[in-house]
Amino acid sequence: MINKQNNRLGWLFASPYLIFGLIFFLGPLVWSFYLAFTNWDLIAPTYDFVGFKNFAKALASPGVQSSFWVTYKFMLLFVPLVTVMSLAVAVLVQGLPKLKSLYLIGFFLPYLSSGVVSSLIAKGFLSYNSPVNQFLRNTFGWDIDWLGSPISALAIVGIILAWKFTGYYALILTSGLESIDREVYEAAAIDGVTDRQRFWKITLPLLYPALYTTLILSFGVTFGIFTEVYQLTGGGPNYATNTWQMEIYNQAFTNLQAGYASAIAILASVVTFISIFVIRKLLESWGKRNGWV
Amino acid sequence: MVGSKRKSKLRLSIRYIVATALLLVMVYPYLYMVLNSFADWTQIDKQLVPSKFTLKSYGWLFTGGEVGIARPWVNSFFNSILVSLASTALMMLFGVMVAYALSKLNFRGRDTVNNFVLFHMFFPAIILLIPQFLVIQKVGLYDTYWAMIIPKAVSLWAIFMYTNFFKAIPTVFIEAAKLDGASDFKILYRIMMPMSRSITAVIFLFLLMERWTELLWDMLVVRSDNMLTLNVLLSQMFGPYGSYPGPLYAASVILTVPIIIMFAIFGKKFKEGMQFSLK
Repeated sequence: MINKQNNRLGWLFASPYLIFGLIFFLGPLVWSFYLAFTNWDLIAPTYDFVGFKNFAKALASPGVQSSFWVTYKFMLLFVPLVTVMSLAVAVLVQGLPKLKSLYLIGFFLPYLSSGVVSSLIAKGFLSYNSPVNQFLRNTFGWDIDWLGSPISALAIVGIILAWKFTGYYALILTSGLESIDREVYEAAAIDGVTDRQRFWKITLPLLYPALYTTLILSFGVTFGIFTEVYQLTGGGPNYATNTWQMEIYNQAFTNLQAGYASAIAILASVVTFISIFVIRKLLESWGKRNGWV
Repeated sequence: MVGSKRKSKLRLSIRYIVATALLLVMVYPYLYMVLNSFADWTQIDKQLVPSKFTLKSYGWLFTGGEVGIARPWVNSFFNSILVSLASTALMMLFGVMVAYALSKLNFRGRDTVNNFVLFHMFFPAIILLIPQFLVIQKVGLYDTYWAMIIPKAVSLWAIFMYTNFFKAIPTVFIEAAKLDGASDFKILYRIMMPMSRSITAVIFLFLLMERWTELLWDMLVVRSDNMLTLNVLLSQMFGPYGSYPGPLYAASVILTVPIIIMFAIFGKKFKEGMQFSLK
């Protein structure tokens, strides 16, 4: 029922968001498109309009190109890793008759960590004289510069992130598992279904909605990586871990090219938007094709 | 039958062993951090489990250590608390208010606002970093506590979660209360909030955790040493103080422990709330 009083109250209650959205979303959105066509350096009082020059420069720059690919490399590494780990944890914990919650809470703890802290721990753990490196040096004669070579730097950031998110996703998947009717399993047991069949034919299809959630979340994570990379590699070595956020941060606040960085940010959000859209569609059609939805 | 029972018992034991082993691997980084924060400085990052312990690292944080510059570690800890609590409290308050409007107040233009919230939520936030920073600079909030609080005073996710939850609360309750002459503020405070305790625990914890561990924004908008959050200070000390890993581990412990305590306090409600939030 719409009446005058409800109208007034509705707008009143919604006003915190409306004001916020205007100042910190709509305004900045317009501003960033404006900036992207200028050569402003973040400090000088004057600047010129440069048309599409910033965009052309961005598309040709090794930094932006690396950001584009690095995101997908992280995806290739992080998404399967975190999915398999969280699935393993969820299935493992689900079968425990006692202390289930306690285990889940334990696995969830890494999610509460700050990226700065986990990076610090990783750096200490992989430092030259660390137990791991001493062991590798003394046993195999290997001297690995973990953060100095492209593949291992990429892998370490991916592993830190997988460590952080595994317990959280396992929690989501467990809720999915709990919603599966026990009777389905019992009926399957009577029919003599093997463990493997049970997982692929019963658990996975019924788990699909929860799995869809964790997959979308984990794909989303790869587009927003900053802290770990900033802390450990600064985007290096040689752009190997240069994520979008890292590139934008460097261009805007280290090189003070606000106009150019805004153009990159626009490219980044277009790429993010399209990628997530395509991934969603692919996941949905995967579910449909298997008859899970 | 006895044989199969024993077999299933064995399988269960294996399951517990595997789960425990995996849990230890996952928690080990925290363990490593805590052990190194108490380790003798000659043993830091050199042994899986140190054998000599000291409180020197924690003492260093309070005194400023051998460099003679009193570092504002203690100060930064309180900055973190101030910023996180203020910001999270506002996100909760505004989340509840806006969600109440979107779910229970039938005002003209509600659908438009609702769609706009969704659009905002799914818009790639990366594009907003630079202009948001400029807004803060333009309105003169650069290098103030407000710069860390106001732009993080509204959470779309909180609005979204509360809206969905409030929609599930029958309108009958509200109409009955209105007949008794209760105002909307009272309804929100007396009916909606008590009914959504578990979801509140989840939202509060996630928001607080995210705010507490924020790095990029806090390091952009504040420059003064005495206003840095613990997370930012730790990040800055990471490089130049590389030769003092002990205190860095100690600071990491101090940064990590409060959020784990919060989690322990709200843990019970948390699990119930998670159940709903995943629907």
